[in-house]
Amino acid sequence: MENTVVSATNFNAWFGDNHVVKDVTINIEKNQCVAVMGPSGCGKTTFLRCINRMHELIPGATAKGSMKLYSDEIYTMNPIYVRYKIGMVFQRPNPFPNLSIYDNVIAGYKLNGLKVPKADLDNIVQKSLTSAALWNEVKDSLHKKGTFLSGGQQQRLCIARAIAMEPEVILFDEPTSALDPISTSSVEQLFHELKEKYTLIIVTHNMQQAARVSDKTAFFYVGELVEFDDTKQMFTAPSDVRTQNYITGRFS
Amino acid sequence: MDARIGIRNTKSILFKSFIIFLAFVVTLPLIIVLLYIIKQGVMQVNWHFLTHVPAPEGEKGGGIANALVGSLLIVGMSSLVAIPVGILAGIYLSENPGTKLAYYSGLCVDILQGVPSIVMGIVVYFWIVKPFGFSAISGSIALAIMMLPIVIRSTEQTLLLLPPSLKEAALSLGVPYHRVILKVIVPCGFAGILSGIILSIARIIGETAPLLFTALGSNYLSTNVTGAMESLPHLIFTYATSPYDDQHDLAWGASFILLMFVLILNIVTKLITRKWKIQL
Amino acid sequence: MTPLETEITALKKELVSMWMLVQSQMNKAKEALVSFDKDLAREVLIKEKRVNSFELKIDRDCENIFALYCPVAVDLRFLLAALKINTNLERIGDIAAGIALYVVEAKENFDPKKLESTQLLRMYDESVNILIDTRMAFEKEDTALARSIFKRDDVLDEINEKAPVVIADLIRSDMDNVAEALYILSIIRKLERVGDQSKNIAEEIIFYVEAKILKHQESGKRMLEGEE
Repeated sequence: MENTVVSATNFNAWFGDNHVVKDVTINIEKNQCVAVMGPSGCGKTTFLRCINRMHELIPGATAKGSMKLYSDEIYTMNPIYVRYKIGMVFQRPNPFPNLSIYDNVIAGYKLNGLKVPKADLDNIVQKSLTSAALWNEVKDSLHKKGTFLSGGQQQRLCIARAIAMEPEVILFDEPTSALDPISTSSVEQLFHELKEKYTLIIVTHNMQQAARVSDKTAFFYVGELVEFDDTKQMFTAPSDVRTQNYITGRFS
Repeated sequence: MDARIGIRNTKSILFKSFIIFLAFVVTLPLIIVLLYIIKQGVMQVNWHFLTHVPAPEGEKGGGIANALVGSLLIVGMSSLVAIPVGILAGIYLSENPGTKLAYYSGLCVDILQGVPSIVMGIVVYFWIVKPFGFSAISGSIALAIMMLPIVIRSTEQTLLLLPPSLKEAALSLGVPYHRVILKVIVPCGFAGILSGIILSIARIIGETAPLLFTALGSNYLSTNVTGAMESLPHLIFTYATSPYDDQHDLAWGASFILLMFVLILNIVTKLITRKWKIQL
Repeated sequence: MTPLETEITALKKELVSMWMLVQSQMNKAKEALVSFDKDLAREVLIKEKRVNSFELKIDRDCENIFALYCPVAVDLRFLLAALKINTNLERIGDIAAGIALYVVEAKENFDPKKLESTQLLRMYDESVNILIDTRMAFEKEDTALARSIFKRDDVLDEINEKAPVVIADLIRSDMDNVAEALYILSIIRKLERVGDQSKNIAEEIIFYVEAKILKHQESGKRMLEGEE
């Protein structure tokens, strides 16, 4: 329990009257890669967006219950600080089209108007791009626009942008659903390296992906957390029949 | 079988030629008007024409310097007012679609866009000119009101086209809302907003009706914005209806200049949208 | 290396470790047999548990890899082969334990002359060598070496076929030690099984490396294919 980074206790979320996340209790440990899967509309993305308080930006969205980062209650912290500590990578690669690759990586500093010496910025850019396995591909074109990269490279650029802020946790919202298979496997490969330093929470539609990349898997169904267990256990002998039906594709 | 395919091919070729012919017919009036104005106007334009005020009636020579300066001043002042207000309103509309306020202000913008320019002129005339007298400022106000809906709508449309993921990307980095707008949303939509602005300037620079009531017109070179001032469209209007041939020539020259102005602005817009287009 | 490659490399290593253990079990059982060392024989019986836990662990690993990585092509063939090799190795482990059990149960030590005359020791060495060479073929993915196993198994078969006659002579010549003769026959039968298991393993290796199925084919045909 000391290793717990993110913990939700009886957490609920709504869109207007629509109760999308129901009484979820989950503890996510440090340096683990946790996959969140479930059928469409099961509340998994909403739950993810509750963790860094992106959920509340949607008009009519509300949340209730306890959500902690270490021992701090996320919902009493400044949302801006929460998002420094919990980075996010989205479904479609979304580098800032008006910024160069270099500026995209340090966008978190630049857009927030944080003053950092140039040498440090160079350092951050190189380190983050290296961690995102992109440095070798872009080191000669750092000042080209980020949108000139391929889809997979753009997504890794977005990952570098999240890493640059030195977060505790990185959330991934279906990070490879818009990528081709080669880019997908390069991003998946990255997860294995990233979890050495960060805690990763990945929402995915793709069961095989959950199986391949994660240490633990959470299965959501109609807003409830049905099962949360070691991925190996989940994919060989799930304890809930709904999980079994879902992963074997026998869902009616 | 072959014969039937042959007939079909002939039919489609005929249809295609017909469409091309129609497209040509449509552009014909435009080409004729342009050629005629250029033919009539280009002879009038020289350095003297651009730097001198009109000659007194019946005399040869003279230029349109007063109208040029006047038009630039009036349009400049209206841009100064309309552009910031328009952009901010456009941002509001694109950021808060579906709210009541956005709905009604959007409606007002549409109505404003449909108001005939002469009506705008008369309103400004009764509000400002009646109490304070004819002035360039009152002209600018009328034109600014005409500019607003174009700037607002073009800003709104441009920003609505930006994917929401862009905003989410910035928010997820902990960027506060006002910085998201200023540092991400507006820069990304810059080309679109700028071309909207230029188009709106091109639109109002040729506007005559509101200026009739407001800036009135003057035969002298004036930079006093609280007094009456000449402008290009107004000069064309007065001189074209005068009985002197010399003044008709002056009007043709001024029309040519105005036309060139609008043309250049349009070309610049096209270039900006092409060159600065942000690849999403 | 992709995660799947990492897993497969680890699994391969695991299988090789199990193989080594089974090999040493066979060797120890032989030593116990020759020197009639009951303690050593008991050690083999105890270590049999380790072979069993290896089998369970490898089964479990294969199951996880199937569930998590959905392997295809060569990876899929490797895993299928690994599952069967695993079973075969465990059986060889059982055979080693069986021989050790005879040593523990036997009242008197085995006569070295008899072990020699029945060709049991030669058979034992050959079967252990086959086991080692199969392992080499597996480690190096050497299908030529794997194919050579089929022929070498014939020697074991030959000794095994002649065994009843040889043992019958042995019993007639020394009616006091019938039990010993029967133990020897049983051990020969068991060693023949080691050869068969190794042959199955060799088939699996060829299946995994070359995607060719050699099961239930005439041995001559197997050899021909190997020469292609």
